[in-house]
Amino acid sequence: MIKVENLQKKFGENEVLRSISTEINKGEVVAVIGPSGSGKSTLLRCMNQLEELTSGTIWIDNQQLNHSKTNVMELRQKIGMVFQHFHLFPHKTVLENLIYAPMKVKGITKKEAESKAHQLLEQVGLSMKVNEYPKRLSGGQKQRVAIARALAMEPEYMLFDEPTSALDPEMVKEVLDVMKQLGKTGMTMVIVTHEMAFAREAADRVLFLDGGKLVEENSPSEFFNEPKTDRAKAFLEKVL
Amino acid sequence: MNLDFTQFVPNIPYILEGILVTLKFVSVSAILGFVLGTILALFKIGRVKILSWIADAYTSVFRGTPLILQLLLFYHATPQLTGYDISAFEAGVLSFGLNSAAYISEIIRAGIRAVDTGQNEAAAALGIPYRPMMKDIILPQAMKNILPALMNEFITLTKESAIVSVIGVFDIMRRSQIVAAEKFKYFEPLLIAGVIYYLLVMILTLVGKMVERRMSRSD
Repeated sequence: MIKVENLQKKFGENEVLRSISTEINKGEVVAVIGPSGSGKSTLLRCMNQLEELTSGTIWIDNQQLNHSKTNVMELRQKIGMVFQHFHLFPHKTVLENLIYAPMKVKGITKKEAESKAHQLLEQVGLSMKVNEYPKRLSGGQKQRVAIARALAMEPEYMLFDEPTSALDPEMVKEVLDVMKQLGKTGMTMVIVTHEMAFAREAADRVLFLDGGKLVEENSPSEFFNEPKTDRAKAFLEKVL
Repeated sequence: MNLDFTQFVPNIPYILEGILVTLKFVSVSAILGFVLGTILALFKIGRVKILSWIADAYTSVFRGTPLILQLLLFYHATPQLTGYDISAFEAGVLSFGLNSAAYISEIIRAGIRAVDTGQNEAAAALGIPYRPMMKDIILPQAMKNILPALMNEFITLTKESAIVSVIGVFDIMRRSQIVAAEKFKYFEPLLIAGVIYYLLVMILTLVGKMVERRMSRSD
């Protein structure tokens, strides 16, 4: 479980997140939506300490993430992350991208890492690209490799930071399909997204952020059909 | 004009032997400069304030004073200050290595800065600690970008190495001067030395292009 308590984040004087509290339960798929600048990505990045919290606490299972005694590096192994711009290692092949961290960080053998990598590449439909360099892949393929790379660490949670926002329209579906599939396997997922149809279909719960505040927390069907707050209503009118 | 290269033919092997001396000198200095330069660059981008201050001060001093002064200081002041009878070769390698480290550290620092911060974040998100991240993820990408600048530095080093002749290292330069002094004819031996330096630089340029091509496999 990821538990967020009174999370506040400031960049200088600019308060990006204001007292956010929520819980992400095991096996849940949670979509985080809201206008740009609402703090969605920052919230996600706080969940694995890519951003340090200004105040408040985040618990991963029973460990406090932002505690001086916590080994953040170790805790991050439990939390996979997928970025908007992929951030594959450009000087490594697809296979090397997948096996590097498991070997280096978890210390598993090359053989083990490779067999896991092959299995994951099959899962995301990219077995034929195993020896390619990232430059030779399309955006959608890159993002699927990035998902496989995160999964190679066998995380318990997966964070997605606008995973389809940098993709050409025709490549969005292949990435969302992989994510849907992953959600069905019981993976706990937090997804910052602008894909409303996807959020409605694949998420168990929607968090709506606006102006750094968690304005509404709802089931997708209710959120999209009869949102409780006016701000959510106004937002949905613009995007749907 | 009375140019006569034939009278220098017997001296050519003697001058050519200087190539080995120059190459040995340049390669040891380059390795020293590269290793120290990398460490200084890591100091500069690191979070430890005192280390980055030291690295900046180091660069400032070594870039801000003439190389020949540093060379003479190492050569003449070391015995005076420490009593250690430093050889010309050692003094040369030290001053050239330390001097080029200052320049190389700036090149590498800029190269590291130019790597997308997303790479750091991706590595951090995978739980990869700082050291392996730098060694396996960031530096290889930085090196690829800075290879031309680095090659340039090595070429400069090769040419400037001629300065060590002033403290009596028997490199290409000094040997050609000795031959010149012996025969009271300067043009021919200096020209021979010039051709040798030029060829060395050309070879280095070629090697650089080959390495660059190898490193761009991933493009």
